[in-house]
Amino acid sequence: MGLIPFIVRKLLGGIPLVLGVTFISFLLMVYFGPDRTNEIVGKNPTAEQIAEVRAQLGYDKPFFARYVDYLTELVTLDFGLSASSGQRVSTVLATAVPITLALMAPGFVLGNLLGLGFALVAAYHRGRWLDKAIMGASVVGMSISFLIVVIFFQLLFCSSMGLNWFPSRGWEVDSVSSYLYYVTVPTLAVVFVALGYNTRFYRAVLVEELNRDHVRTALAYGTPPARLLCRNVLKNALIPIITRVLFSIPLVLISGSLIIETYFGIPGAGKMTYDAITQGDQPVLKAVVGLTAVLFVFTLLLADMLYRLVDPRVELT
Amino acid sequence: MMSIQKRGAMGSRFLAVFAIVILAQMLGACSCSDNTAPTEQAGLKVYRVALDQTPRDLDPAHSSTLYQNHIVLNLYDTLYSYEYLARPYKLKPRLAVELPEVSADGLTYTIRLRKGVRFMDDPAFEEGKGREVTAADVVYSLKRHFDPETLSSGDWFWKNRIKGLDAWKEAGADYAQPVEGLQAPDSHTLVIRLTKPYPQLVHTLAQGYAGVVPREAVARYGRELATHPVGSGPYKLEKFDSTQVVLVRNPGYREDRVDLAAEGFDPALHGGLGLERIDGLALPISDRVHVYFIAEDTARVTSLTKGGELHTARLPALMYEQFLASTEPAALKSQYAEQFNMVAGLESGFVYMNFNLDDPDFGVTDDPAQSARNKALRCAIFKGFDWQLRNSAYYSNLGEIFPGIITPTVPEFDPNLPRDTVTRDVPGAKKLLTEAGWNADNLPELVYGIPSSVLQTQYFEQFRGFMGDIGYPRDKIVLKRYATFGDIAKAWRNSELPLIYKGWTLDYPDAENTLQLFYGPNAAPGSNDSNYRNPAYDRLFEEASVMQPGTNRTAIYRRMNQMVIDDCVSTTGLSRTQVLLWDKRVAAYPDRGFVGGFYFPYVDVPAQER
Repeated sequence: MGLIPFIVRKLLGGIPLVLGVTFISFLLMVYFGPDRTNEIVGKNPTAEQIAEVRAQLGYDKPFFARYVDYLTELVTLDFGLSASSGQRVSTVLATAVPITLALMAPGFVLGNLLGLGFALVAAYHRGRWLDKAIMGASVVGMSISFLIVVIFFQLLFCSSMGLNWFPSRGWEVDSVSSYLYYVTVPTLAVVFVALGYNTRFYRAVLVEELNRDHVRTALAYGTPPARLLCRNVLKNALIPIITRVLFSIPLVLISGSLIIETYFGIPGAGKMTYDAITQGDQPVLKAVVGLTAVLFVFTLLLADMLYRLVDPRVELT
Repeated sequence: MMSIQKRGAMGSRFLAVFAIVILAQMLGACSCSDNTAPTEQAGLKVYRVALDQTPRDLDPAHSSTLYQNHIVLNLYDTLYSYEYLARPYKLKPRLAVELPEVSADGLTYTIRLRKGVRFMDDPAFEEGKGREVTAADVVYSLKRHFDPETLSSGDWFWKNRIKGLDAWKEAGADYAQPVEGLQAPDSHTLVIRLTKPYPQLVHTLAQGYAGVVPREAVARYGRELATHPVGSGPYKLEKFDSTQVVLVRNPGYREDRVDLAAEGFDPALHGGLGLERIDGLALPISDRVHVYFIAEDTARVTSLTKGGELHTARLPALMYEQFLASTEPAALKSQYAEQFNMVAGLESGFVYMNFNLDDPDFGVTDDPAQSARNKALRCAIFKGFDWQLRNSAYYSNLGEIFPGIITPTVPEFDPNLPRDTVTRDVPGAKKLLTEAGWNADNLPELVYGIPSSVLQTQYFEQFRGFMGDIGYPRDKIVLKRYATFGDIAKAWRNSELPLIYKGWTLDYPDAENTLQLFYGPNAAPGSNDSNYRNPAYDRLFEEASVMQPGTNRTAIYRRMNQMVIDDCVSTTGLSRTQVLLWDKRVAAYPDRGFVGGFYFPYVDVPAQER
């Protein structure tokens, strides 16, 4: 199958996924999400006032009419105004998402690269002390709660009780140095937590690859270790690696950054989503859920195309 | 196979690269680490303060929380405000020239506005230049609360109070139509006519809700006014997101100077805070105010103790032990006393526990005998509740326990009221239950609702323990969790729960604000979620509601207070102490009560040295 028909087919196949996700999430939002009426009405509302506010919020409209409105918003990418702040949802997203990307990218990239590096070392030395040391450290890293790590790093690097080198909160980025100033400690926390998970996962993938016949043959020919690992092992292990990396991105964007953003006072997408959930800000929530579903569809598509790129035997079907 | 040495060398090289990457990043970052943001400009006075929650938006019509008020009152003008330092709180004119002229019948208020006060420059105005604030703007801003499009949460202040305003809403909220009770006979005179006397009116005109909004800004920004404020306050908005608000000096702000004596300065109370240096300075004193919203206690305290990152923050109750050398009186440990000033003041509100009297198992029924038994049950539960233990367990004994619903922060408070209703009496509770015929078998199931949180769960467990002591079976006290505060508030408004444990923050320093919590016509969905309906109480409330402050009104207030106590509607109460710490280099007297939004312009901070 050609590339264009493949893309079209994949995108069409993603429509039921988007519909399913949006329908279930909207159902939960409407029937189990916070009701903003009580926040908005004053301290002594009458039943009429409550009804008035509900009408203003659109709560009195039938469910399916609201769901159709939602799909229309998703298609037109116009989610209106945030129910909480009154800002355009597009503005809210445009402000928050780049911050989260800038905040999480170094930790995400470093966490994966270092995880891969440690995994290569551990896999190559499997069963020996270096492997055991790396795996032991990974388990320790995985066993410590992210929240504890964040608090500890904040105390260690950002407080008068510790080194006090970095800011304990904020995001006033306008240059490379200010970016490094604000991103370093969150990055260290993210790397610390992600490293264990990534190392264990990649090691498992790489060990399996190291046991293959072609690797043994390459070793027999005296291939240098770096070349062996990069060309013969890593290249063949790329499919599970790509899968893990790509499918982490939507999660990192939306949920992975919540604790970091909350503790470091960074106005990113994680905090925005959390606030939207707790405040019942349906326009923002609808945008986040809908766009995340769409992002997943594109991620699936991209993953399939990358599989084909790294392994020509993969069929575009 | 590769040799062991080679393998080891490869691992070492990798670890070295890893270390270099991390160190390089840290060294690069440290190049600007002096605990201030790299973007700050030298020579500016930047005040940094933390609040515990993020305001929903910055539209005065939605200014329902102290967090919103803190910001809104610095962006918008109000007719009145509170003196910076006077305690008890005292009203003073702000946009008004003086306190209003009130007619003999208390129905007509004439308010003269200051001349020359201008809205900040904004594209909403012709040629982007702010125009003068007039009485018509005040009329418009009050009308706006009654426009359904606004979704105001502040209309209850003036509902059924101002002649013609409710009818204006019913008629379609057409701004072109006049309202009898809101007149602007000239550009700087406002006349408010009331349906009946309303002594608290001036207090309402000092709230964030009463912020004066220009019509042009609403026309241009609509709902987005919530994040694009256009006022005439001392500060303009530079930035607003979920983590902070940045306010910058409004360059067009009028010439106002600090008169320390007029603000209630008392050397005995305020000496040593460096406030003398602000006398005569032009307002606002600080060039910029950065308000950070930090819900997490550890993050807030870390930021405060870091040095320079934050000047003022509330100390969480769970950290009193770490910071305070003593709680009676509250005093800082020496290492913190060198760095911080502290004020430990009661909140402008209280926490209390109501029964929903519409609940047939605990409230008033058609059967007088059953109602009497239910009352005995309520009284027994209240006798079994231990406010002292709640205070020591969760508020480091810094809360003030008091009987009734008139809080210690209002002038009508009676310090001599007997304290038996807030003193635990387990034998008395058991005796009441026995006399009324209650026993473990026939006691009704008591559903205890909480917004889901660890602290609220702990409150519940403690309550269940208290009740166990008076013989209430554990399995009959049932926990019901709600996902958010909004959800449980909805349950209260729908009378779904028999017991309501909550806090109330006063809108103004007048006991009427807590007494209305038990006024019959305010029953659910209104603020009287106990659904207390006592005709005698309601009559007294209506009688007092039109009286000016004075001994007669206070006497009536206290009679009403006693009724609520006697009927075992509510076990009250505890006013929490708020401990505020601020950097000693800063001349300030922070407040989270009625002056909360008004103190920012008075804060003097050393200029940035970078």
